[in-house]
Amino acid sequence: MLERLQECVELGEKLGAGFVEARFEDLTLRTLQRINDNWKDIILRSRAGIGVACYYGGASGYSFTPSDSKKELEETVSRAYRMAKASATAVSLKLDFDRRSAVKSSATDTFPAKVHPKSKDLGYKTDLVNRVIDRAREFGENISNVTGAYGELFGQKLFTNSEGSIVDWSFEIVDLRCSVISKTESGDLVMGAERAGGTMGLELFNAKGSTPEDIGKEAGTHAKEQLKARTCPAGKFQTLIENSLVGVLAHESFGHLSEGDFVVVGGSPLTGRIGEKLGTEHATIVDCGTPNIPKFGGLWVPYDDQGTKASETTILDKGLLKHYLHSRGTAQYLHQEPTGNCRAVHFGFIPIPRMTNTYFSAGDLTKEEALELLDTGIYAIQTSGGQVEADGSFLFKAIRGYWVQNGEIREPLREVSLSGNILNLLSEVKGATKDLRLYAGYFGGCGKGGQFPLPCGTGGPELVIGGVTFGGKAG
Amino acid sequence: MLEYENLKDELLSAIDTGLKFARTVDGEAEFELYLFFQNSAKADIKQGVVEATDGIVKGNAVRVAKQNCISFASSSGISPARIRRSINEAVAGLRSVSIKDERFKGFCEPKRPGKEGTFASEILSLSKEELIRYAKDLVKDGQEFDSRILMVQGSCSATWGGFAIGNTQGLQQASRSASNDCDVSCIAVDKEERRVGHEFDITRERLIKTEGMGERAARKAISLLGARKLNEATVLPTIWEPIAAAAYIAASVGQSTGGHAVVEGRSPLAGKIGEEVANPNLTIIDDGQNPSSVTTEAIDAEGHPQQKNTLIEKGKLNQFLFDTYYARIYGTESTGNCARGGGPFGSTLPYEASPGISPKSIEVSPGTKKKDDIINSIGGKAILIVDFPIGIFHSSVSTGEFSAVAQSAFLIQNGEKKTPLQPVSVSGNFYKGFERLLELGSDLEKTPLLVETPSLLFDGFSIVG
Repeated sequence: MLERLQECVELGEKLGAGFVEARFEDLTLRTLQRINDNWKDIILRSRAGIGVACYYGGASGYSFTPSDSKKELEETVSRAYRMAKASATAVSLKLDFDRRSAVKSSATDTFPAKVHPKSKDLGYKTDLVNRVIDRAREFGENISNVTGAYGELFGQKLFTNSEGSIVDWSFEIVDLRCSVISKTESGDLVMGAERAGGTMGLELFNAKGSTPEDIGKEAGTHAKEQLKARTCPAGKFQTLIENSLVGVLAHESFGHLSEGDFVVVGGSPLTGRIGEKLGTEHATIVDCGTPNIPKFGGLWVPYDDQGTKASETTILDKGLLKHYLHSRGTAQYLHQEPTGNCRAVHFGFIPIPRMTNTYFSAGDLTKEEALELLDTGIYAIQTSGGQVEADGSFLFKAIRGYWVQNGEIREPLREVSLSGNILNLLSEVKGATKDLRLYAGYFGGCGKGGQFPLPCGTGGPELVIGGVTFGGKAG
Repeated sequence: MLEYENLKDELLSAIDTGLKFARTVDGEAEFELYLFFQNSAKADIKQGVVEATDGIVKGNAVRVAKQNCISFASSSGISPARIRRSINEAVAGLRSVSIKDERFKGFCEPKRPGKEGTFASEILSLSKEELIRYAKDLVKDGQEFDSRILMVQGSCSATWGGFAIGNTQGLQQASRSASNDCDVSCIAVDKEERRVGHEFDITRERLIKTEGMGERAARKAISLLGARKLNEATVLPTIWEPIAAAAYIAASVGQSTGGHAVVEGRSPLAGKIGEEVANPNLTIIDDGQNPSSVTTEAIDAEGHPQQKNTLIEKGKLNQFLFDTYYARIYGTESTGNCARGGGPFGSTLPYEASPGISPKSIEVSPGTKKKDDIINSIGGKAILIVDFPIGIFHSSVSTGEFSAVAQSAFLIQNGEKKTPLQPVSVSGNFYKGFERLLELGSDLEKTPLLVETPSLLFDGFSIVG
């Protein structure tokens, strides 16, 4: 296949492209989903294809094909080149980049999973889901729906370009999760959920806290607790935000604003603000493609889809804006180094600046000290997602929460939503706990530019933040 | 080479060959084979940065069922080798996991197909250069409107393609469509304040009309500058302009009327057929045969004819949406709503998605009052929401509780539109909202969320600003 990709590069250059990138992926994706007593999905996907990017006159053109036939590949290169050439007539902001030395990957670049998902049959994995559901039922109450799901994604990613780079590594991710919906006496539906996943082998599901039994128990217990939970009050409150929700905050609210493509066109409120103080000393945000997974969890992305090696990029350092997340073109335009953040969801898309693992750095507080610092307010836990706008406004959903009074956790709160503007919020970060955790999974992902779902890692410690707006019951 | 004219024949021929091969792999199993082909070109200009893509998405999916065990496999490509690969993978999956789904009663039975939607042949001949020119015009229009417009992004795309389905029940059908769409977003900046305005066009019956779109998006963004804080946590009436109302409808009825949510105990509307669930002026249909809707096809994603379904009629819940699988569990007929990766945020590789249920094209019947008359009729304060509220799709289907942030909102006071507002949080329960729906406007609009709706006036939502 490498030869085919190299032929694509040669043909693109022969047609007149200034630079050509060609990549191939051959991925296996499997989804096993059981709803109540029924197996809804046993889905086995094989995703293989080639994408070619041609650069011409400061513009890019991209094309792709699932076929590896010589004729179709020639047509694909031709389409990419023609698109680039047509685009060059409209370009006024050129994202050229200088040639560099060729990048060569090594076999050790692939994360060494102990029990690779391909080494176990489907029966082993359906058993994981069955165990999740059995335990969720044991701990839940008034259950209206219990869903258990397992997902895995693995396979080769191969890349070459006009510099002669050869990047060949294997992506891998597993995920096991459970959600329980229970019905209150008044007929309202409430939810509990739990998950474990990331770039790890199936050994993950033998570890304390992430066994199928642990996952099912947590989901069932939380759904049961939600039966008695009250609606979150509306208004502005002091907040303690739990690790996984902090991760979504780092990704959605700040991470996207730091992506180079948004910065170069002036669309991001972070444009031109390198060196400015945007947050408190407790606010440090990092993006890293190769985190210490055995210790913290997360996703392994040793190279991006432009062949750039992963790096650890401190975007915000104790409140100071330090760096953006880049493709090669945006890095050169902004006089920074490429960061290994140019990614595509699959071969059908041109890579664009995306995050890898984005997280707030740990602080020095214990959980007790964090609650004491919070004093009175809301402890917001887990998330079902979030969204951010170009001006830094955000909305995140916490699956559940607690009311905290004088540093003590009191009654549970139902699903809560947090909103505000990230640039205001960063100046309200009062402290961070010591326990850094990273989260990644097969289900869901980042949807930037219509490229959904790209697996991304997110995480952080728990953060104490003053004055967060909660949507809920007003008046 | 597949062309629009021969697409259905070529796909159906591949289906026939694939099914014949499948029978040789396991003569006792039931098979369903789905092939997807889409030619897509897109140009995107963000300020002066241009990115353009031109490619073909094609893939296949196989479902195999035997003695109530069912398995799904898909692979990229529609060559005989790739189809055989999926068939073998699906059969291997079935053999390795002997899990029964007692609710499965067979694949979709053959029926006479519905109609394909309107087709504009000029979409097929739209060149890459023309797409780029359209995108360039959108950006230029927005940039030239006002010096406070800092960033403009314009995108245009043209797609054509089709899909075919065959199964061992004797069903073999195909459908084709083409569409052309564009959108533009403008960011207006004044000191620390940043506001966004959007415009769009999506069509299958003509080419996109980009004229004036950039300017309209820019005007919207500028109109939101000078926003002030609401500084209240209170309960107020809210007027949702069509794009915002479409998000409300799609996130609520669009999900909870799905037969899967009903059967699996995740819909608050379950068990309420015939009950009054909304203001008696509210009628909502889902029309899979509207000739101008971009989602109209002759058949749905399992080969059942697409059709028109009435979800809520004069405030009463009338029916749910089904595919064959859930219809049989519920004890009814499919409504032609099977989808693969469907909905407004559909999958980019639809053949990889297992069949599910999705509305095709939701239409809310309009009222008689103009939006301005509705505003004039409000005493005291209210909030006017003029764009897609962020976070609304992160609401829980099962609870109906929602909380969203209206980025683009105005204060209404004593019947007059006053100042723009800094983002306000709007929260409540979708279904209690329908009961407190006060007015429907006459300003019916199509939206990219596959919902056509007028402005809606609700009472009783919590507002924090």
